[in-house]
Amino acid sequence: MKHLLLKLEPIIWLLFGGGILVGTLLLPGYLLTVGLAGPLGWLPEDALSWERLHGMVSHPIGGLLFRVVLLALIALPLWKGAHHLRHFLIDMGGGARDAAVAPLLYLVAAAGSLAAIAAVVRL
Amino acid sequence: MAQPAHPHAMAPSRPGRTRTAPPMKPGTWPTSPRYLTYLAFDFTGLVYLLVGLVALRAAWALGSGPEAWARLQAQFANPLYVAFHALTLAAVIFVGVRFFRLFPKAQPARIGPAKPPPRPVLHAMLYAAWIGITAGLVAVLGGIIP
Repeated sequence: MKHLLLKLEPIIWLLFGGGILVGTLLLPGYLLTVGLAGPLGWLPEDALSWERLHGMVSHPIGGLLFRVVLLALIALPLWKGAHHLRHFLIDMGGGARDAAVAPLLYLVAAAGSLAAIAAVVRL
Repeated sequence: MAQPAHPHAMAPSRPGRTRTAPPMKPGTWPTSPRYLTYLAFDFTGLVYLLVGLVALRAAWALGSGPEAWARLQAQFANPLYVAFHALTLAAVIFVGVRFFRLFPKAQPARIGPAKPPPRPVLHAMLYAAWIGITAGLVAVLGGIIP
């Protein structure tokens, strides 16, 4: 498993770097609206309505862009999270358990990414 | 109090002819502000992992129809979710500030004939992109742009 992880290291690093850069660029806008302003009632009533958002994803041109952004917003932070959490656990003295923990974390990120692809396709 | 570090830390691939002392981890390391900040940066991994899964749930609910979306909206209004999203926003800003400070330093000196812009310009470009993308998303998702 350690050998496989070393072989996959460039791909994992690419996804991790994408997670830091793209995730950090996209997440504040999502969190400010969907996570905070919407639930706290600071937005117009229909801003986050299903009809409006579904209309946006169903748009012939903008819909594709919306889906790609949504996929990046979900999948890339998962890889950033898995890789950084792995290194946090190593730094906290969990180096001996890395052979078991690392595949588990990357499995969560991979499964989440596949589910994200399915989620944006079925929108 | 100094502690022994990992025995293979910084070990050369082949033993040299000169004998060297085993590496020692300074005893003050775990409480050093720089190390704590580094650990906090690593710990944001858990926040990113969780927010990715919550965003996945939101996308799934959006694809499941108006009832599922309304249920999710009601759950997001729970103070625990609001606190989680506020904490996540703080973590993302922390990651952004730290990473964007590092990013220009990590660029290669040149790629073929092309040289990257000076570090302050690159730094400013990252912040401009960050603010612009955030403003754009807020405008679209927040209903400012119909």
